[in-house]
Amino acid sequence: MIVDLEPTEDQVLITESITGLLTDHLPVARFREVHSHGAAAERAIWGDLAGLGLFGLGLPEEKGGIGFGLPEEVLAARVLGMHLASTSVLAQMAAAHVATEAMRDDVTSGAVRAAFAVATLSGAVHRIDGEGATLVVLVAPGSAALVTADIFGDWHALAPMDETVAIHGTALPAAEFDPSPEAQRIALLLAAYQVGIAQAVTDMAVDYAKTREQFGQPIGAFQAIKHMCADMAVRAAAADAQVRYAAVTLGHGGGDGEIAAARLLASNAALENAKANIQIHGGMGFTAECDAHLFLKRAHLLSSLGSSRRAEERQLMADVV
Amino acid sequence: MRLIAEPALDTFREECRDWLSDNVPRAKRPHEGLALRDYDLAWQRTQYEGGWAGVSWPAEYGGRGLSVLEQLIWHEEYARAGAPPSASMFVALSHAGPTLIVQGSEAQKQRHLPAILKGEENWCQGFSEPGAGSDLAGLKTRGVIDGDHLVVNGTKIWTSYAQGADWQELLVHTDPERPRHKGISWIICDMRAPGIEIRPITAMSGLTHFAQVFYDDVRIPLTNVVGALHEGWRVAMTTLGFERGTGTIAHQIELANAVERLVERARTTISPQSGLSLIADDAVAAQLAQLRAEVAALRSLTVASVSRGMRETVPGAEGNIVALYFGELSRRVHGAALELLGPDALIRSESHNLPLHYLESFKWAIGGGTSEIRRNAIGERVLGLPRGPRAA
Repeated sequence: MIVDLEPTEDQVLITESITGLLTDHLPVARFREVHSHGAAAERAIWGDLAGLGLFGLGLPEEKGGIGFGLPEEVLAARVLGMHLASTSVLAQMAAAHVATEAMRDDVTSGAVRAAFAVATLSGAVHRIDGEGATLVVLVAPGSAALVTADIFGDWHALAPMDETVAIHGTALPAAEFDPSPEAQRIALLLAAYQVGIAQAVTDMAVDYAKTREQFGQPIGAFQAIKHMCADMAVRAAAADAQVRYAAVTLGHGGGDGEIAAARLLASNAALENAKANIQIHGGMGFTAECDAHLFLKRAHLLSSLGSSRRAEERQLMADVV
Repeated sequence: MRLIAEPALDTFREECRDWLSDNVPRAKRPHEGLALRDYDLAWQRTQYEGGWAGVSWPAEYGGRGLSVLEQLIWHEEYARAGAPPSASMFVALSHAGPTLIVQGSEAQKQRHLPAILKGEENWCQGFSEPGAGSDLAGLKTRGVIDGDHLVVNGTKIWTSYAQGADWQELLVHTDPERPRHKGISWIICDMRAPGIEIRPITAMSGLTHFAQVFYDDVRIPLTNVVGALHEGWRVAMTTLGFERGTGTIAHQIELANAVERLVERARTTISPQSGLSLIADDAVAAQLAQLRAEVAALRSLTVASVSRGMRETVPGAEGNIVALYFGELSRRVHGAALELLGPDALIRSESHNLPLHYLESFKWAIGGGTSEIRRNAIGERVLGLPRGPRAA
């Protein structure tokens, strides 16, 4: 068995069609308008996303899906990350795999919406971009569970570091949640989104370094900047390759260790690259006028969404410790 | 992105595995010198006789003529079987041979390719000079045309396995009218030719694998020019790309094995202070987890690079990404062993020569392009950033 990590023709087409829709409707500049925060822009094109087949992309045809697999979903998730699409789009893709048969068609058609939520150290649960969502995908390191929103009490709005998302909190119910067998798939979708962030900020930093001039030349000609950009590209490429490898081999010899490696490296690449992008943009990078901060804030959100550095490290050493 | 599962490839893999388990030499491999060269040539001959030399090389020159997929499987099984590193055969098999296949004349291919595969000749490289390391285009070794020969004068350095090499891929400046890389030629140099002197250089690890080579009026036939005269830069860039091809799979698997050995030692070594194994310390476990994640990513980057290689015949600048990652990770892995195992790790022994591995690991972030030069190449040739200040 040989792993081929180059995209197939179908995979190129899938990436292009999703990129086309998101470039038109979800440019990162949309966040300059407060009314597009909290997945409002995504909800406006929810039908188009469903029409592309995104919500059932990796679901078999006999289950009402498009019939592709995890590699295709991972490529789509990467594009979502590059555009800072609402994580509720990913939650919808995840929910399609976990939903009961009765509910599945409503998820793939987008008639019923899903959102991610996480339990916090203080005993609360935080739901992300979930206004009006019927389903909640509760993620924790190594596990995921699909629950209906009505098991929770009243949600109250919180003030998130990432102002472009809507986070609501409530007390975590005492109920036991059925762990989903799809936790690995969901972890990889989140890792792929993080790779999208890592790649998008690399592109942004490189574009800026090519055009911003100081001392009579583009700052990208200086090795201090050029080497930062190269390191960003390497971090993004390593995490990207690992996510792809884990996606292709899941169920064929790959497993928890590959996925933990993917999330550890993707979290790190998204965070470190987002920071480097701010640094390369200098004074502008520190302002709210430049989009660089949006990627940093989203990278922090993703790295705490069903993951933590310690949890991934423990998983990587699970066979010996 | 997919699994390629073909019964024929599985059969091929089993054949590789069976042959390797029966034929990998058990005799201890000499560390250096002519004994090492003889060992490597004999092992190459064994592979040829078994039908395993040059898996993806053209059949007309003694190879198997199979695809890069079979080549990949062979490299994987080779490393897993613990077969000897290609070492003194590396330039012949991974630089010079592939370069001749793409750029060589028919006569050059006939002369050298079968001989390389049969273990009859051994090659070294003559690219860097004392004054032209990272700035390779600034090389000074001259080749002056005299009738149907080039007369070469100058010196090359960091030539691995020069002692005992039969041939050398040599870059010389042949046109003083044209500056830098525009006047360079890639030539096949007979290492036994009169006028060649070899001065061995000992590395900080204690190994004497490389040398400085001096050329004093060395006469090389013009028929030994590969590609056209003065076109050597283009030929050399091809060669540098090959270095980052499937041949690096072995290095990647060896590094993954080194991490697993370290995990095992951390698990079985009991701290006299705490009475617990080293790995019970969360900080130690975290450090090893990070290394495991990174060697997994190195494997994935290598697979991605090979996947690209299935589609293009000449590797691009992206190979620098894998090489940079490997060079930096290699030093960290072997450094972690010293840090973790304390005073015991500072003693050289036959079974656990951690100092040797540690000291040798520095070469991967220097040789074939320093990490800094690779970052320049990624910045300029992959990302398209403007070139920094340098001569024309």
